[in-house]
Amino acid sequence: MSDKVKIIIDDIEYEVPAGSNLVDMAKWYADNDIPVFCYHPKMEPVGMCRMCLVEQGSIVKDRETGEVVLDENGNPQVRWFPKLQTACTQIVHDGMVIRTNTEAVKAARENVVEFLLTSHPLDCPICDKGGECPLQNLTMAHGPGTSRMNYDDKMHLDKHVPLGDLIFLDEERCIQCARCIRFQDEIVGDDVLAFHERGRKLQIITNSDPGFDTYFSGNTTDICPVGALTTADFRFGARPWELTEVPSICPHDAAGSNISLSVRLDRDFGGRAMIKRVMPRQNEYVNEIWISDKTRFGHHFTRSEDRLKKPMIKKGGVLTEATWDEAIRFVVDALKAADGSVAAIAGSSTPNEDLWTLRKLVEGLGGGLLGAWTPTHAGADLVAQVGVGKGTNLGDLGQGDAVLIIATDLEEEVPIWRLRLKQAADRGAYLVVANARKTRMDDFASDTVRYDYGQAAHAMQNLDAAIAKKLKEANNLIIVAGAEGLTLDGSRALMQAAANFLIESGHIGKPNNGLLSPFPGANGMGLHYMGFSPEATLQIMQNPPKLLIVNQAELLADDPFAAEWLNKVETIISLNLFPDAVSNMAAAALPIQSFAERDGTFTNGERRVQRFYMAQGPMGEALPAWQVFSQLSEALGQGHAKLSAAAVMKEITENVEAFAGMRYKELARVERQFPDVGGEDLYYGGTAYQNKGGLGVQIETSADKGEAVSVGEVKLPDSPKPKKGQVLVVPVAQLFNRQSTFKPSVLVHPRVPQPYVEINSKDAARMNIKTGDLVEVMMADQIRVTVQAHVNGGAPEGAAVLPRYLTDEATPMVLTVGEIKKV
Amino acid sequence: MANTLAEKYAERIQHHLSKYPDKRSAVMPLLYIAQEEYGWLSPQGIEEVAELCDMDPTQVKSIAGFYTMYREQPKGKFWLHVCTDLPCALKGAETFYADLLAHLGIEDGGTTEDGTFTVEHVMCLAACDRAPMLQCNFHFHEHLDMDKMRELLDQWRKEAEAYANKDV
Repeated sequence: MSDKVKIIIDDIEYEVPAGSNLVDMAKWYADNDIPVFCYHPKMEPVGMCRMCLVEQGSIVKDRETGEVVLDENGNPQVRWFPKLQTACTQIVHDGMVIRTNTEAVKAARENVVEFLLTSHPLDCPICDKGGECPLQNLTMAHGPGTSRMNYDDKMHLDKHVPLGDLIFLDEERCIQCARCIRFQDEIVGDDVLAFHERGRKLQIITNSDPGFDTYFSGNTTDICPVGALTTADFRFGARPWELTEVPSICPHDAAGSNISLSVRLDRDFGGRAMIKRVMPRQNEYVNEIWISDKTRFGHHFTRSEDRLKKPMIKKGGVLTEATWDEAIRFVVDALKAADGSVAAIAGSSTPNEDLWTLRKLVEGLGGGLLGAWTPTHAGADLVAQVGVGKGTNLGDLGQGDAVLIIATDLEEEVPIWRLRLKQAADRGAYLVVANARKTRMDDFASDTVRYDYGQAAHAMQNLDAAIAKKLKEANNLIIVAGAEGLTLDGSRALMQAAANFLIESGHIGKPNNGLLSPFPGANGMGLHYMGFSPEATLQIMQNPPKLLIVNQAELLADDPFAAEWLNKVETIISLNLFPDAVSNMAAAALPIQSFAERDGTFTNGERRVQRFYMAQGPMGEALPAWQVFSQLSEALGQGHAKLSAAAVMKEITENVEAFAGMRYKELARVERQFPDVGGEDLYYGGTAYQNKGGLGVQIETSADKGEAVSVGEVKLPDSPKPKKGQVLVVPVAQLFNRQSTFKPSVLVHPRVPQPYVEINSKDAARMNIKTGDLVEVMMADQIRVTVQAHVNGGAPEGAAVLPRYLTDEATPMVLTVGEIKKV
Repeated sequence: MANTLAEKYAERIQHHLSKYPDKRSAVMPLLYIAQEEYGWLSPQGIEEVAELCDMDPTQVKSIAGFYTMYREQPKGKFWLHVCTDLPCALKGAETFYADLLAHLGIEDGGTTEDGTFTVEHVMCLAACDRAPMLQCNFHFHEHLDMDKMRELLDQWRKEAEAYANKDV
């Protein structure tokens, strides 16, 4: 893009990058919004809707001399095309001249709009898109004003066609721009939408089974330029002009997708501000303008009636409601009584502010161990050293670059990374996917590597020579290393091996190079920077303290083995959104606010610290966890409680080196992003919102700063070995699951699979198990789950692939052994 | 799910697949095979072709929808396309078509009660000089009048009966 060309738009000359699209350039440089319906800056142009017609010509040059030919007035002569051209299909070139404001162009626009409206019902008053509708806006701007069509002459078609469980199609509103079809095909790689019939009968259909249910389906409703595609969540839920947009961050995964929470004061929520929908907010570094369906439809937990609403303290052996004053006094007494034998475990979606205040509280008590939950993914310290360099943008990867994805099912763990890396592969990046089983990413891989479960680190160290060579020689290399089929030790070994590979090949300390890991939750890296580690969690497990503070970590729901050691803890102080098995055991169960009710920050997997803002009214008496910890500290005589999340962050910036530049003001900085989506002209990029809440700030790695890095010696751990009659039980991630923060999203339930275990056909034959049979997976005496067997080729021999969070009972967090029996 | 087409028409399918570097290029000839087997492009047929061409069933359905010579609904055993475009109409195709419908007792696009004939009017079939004409299961019959037509219909009806008896 370094070469520049000169183009003339409406008589003004602009210098623009060669090879770029005319519509994009007119908007970016000339602030000239050429109207479009089918064109989308993230997709290939198709020139279907004809809305972007412009007059186009070229400056005439003498063929012999190459000199520009001048007319009688001394101006360059322009050779105009005899007909109007679609701007969206034009690549800019030197001497390109276009006019967008002539009578011919105006007439063309008016005619195209009128033509589109001949089959459009104009039911704007009942349409969800009304108020932020490209067709509405462009009709107002360019349309004829009156209609020559009788209503009865229009096509009248079905208005409620479910394309999947979450997306509805209104057939008569569709203007056949194919944005949704192209999104699924080009960007997602699941071509489950298509046109059917032709001419006026043309319709969007899906004939797949199941229908339109990819993890990205909601994005089609954003880019749909009319109200043809709507979500089951927001349909008839509110009018866009009633909504206030609050910038936020997805609380579910390591991508840290920038979102906008559309809230309004709602009768259904006692007249308080309520989230009506979740929309993407543009951040080209993080999620561009896309979000996964989990991000979009997984917000209902924030106002679930099951939320813990009042502080509870144990009185006479029974948890009883209390005031916050009582609860704070009670907990302070308990903390004092623990004599410094205090530890804390924080869940991976705990915001940075909460982690910091919790750490200060524990340290103030003379305690020490700060555990990260779940203790499944090691190596956050390595990501801090050799993680992807500051300024990394997965959207920049392409020809000449390489990505290795190992021991993770990205589609299920961090769908946005999967979406962006799939596109990197489309742009020509060399994509290697290594796992013990086939995952969705294999479909987009240039090469795949198979190894035995538990052997990921070994596989990383012994990559096929040809593959390793290509990876090493790539201009840029990113390794995404997960923890599927590994113990915590195994995960560490893999992360070390991956870090070593990057260091040896010199792919560290610069943008688009380095290590990534799909840590669970939204703040896996924040846990590390605030001093919490999974290794400490293991130490806590081995040597339980007298008093354990558990924040937003559902130990018993996550880990079938947790009861064993948790019973040895004398006093548990539990802070959580929901009452759970841990809070039932606790001496005090304190209600805390979800991300939607408060301010805070998350540090995403790429180490970008990002702010989320208060959007929704609080549930009951819940407080932000940082406030609880801060008040406890004050009551213990450790200085004044902080009054705002911003003040907590200020303290963090003064104490945690990596966070030195992370004042809230800095995190809220925005800049103009290409392509310029959002804003007034919704038709250009869809209803993804302009980023007004901040792009966040990425923490530099040690390698970025040129500091020495230390990976440590790689110790290949002994992987669990199944005895005769046993199999390896491999926990895997399932995006749509029954975790407490997703279960309340009732409308997604049809897409949450029934609990199952994937078994290899050879093992299944030996045990006489068929798909659909109920089987019991037994890890230890009391630890067993009954699930359906799937024999679909998804598991290697000797392994039982057991998705987590589908059953009511806890299933293993890390690789273990077990037996399978037919029920 | 067993793939009936793959088993029954292995050779023909292989013949079409082998002509192209990409499996999906063979989708149209394979759809004709499916239509031959099932009489129309049933969901089953679409599924099977999708599997054979390594495509998403949605894309196969889309192709079936775009081209008019694929039947997306079950139709009569004999599918008659009568051209009523201008040159044919000048040679009496419109009257011929109306007479034919009246003779069979069906509406435009309808199917006879016994499921033997489906009659539709179509755009130009490129045989204007031999109008009135029609296409029956993709074979042309030209220079028609109602006498000729009655003969043809009787003949086809007999064929249909023979076929039905053979089935029993």
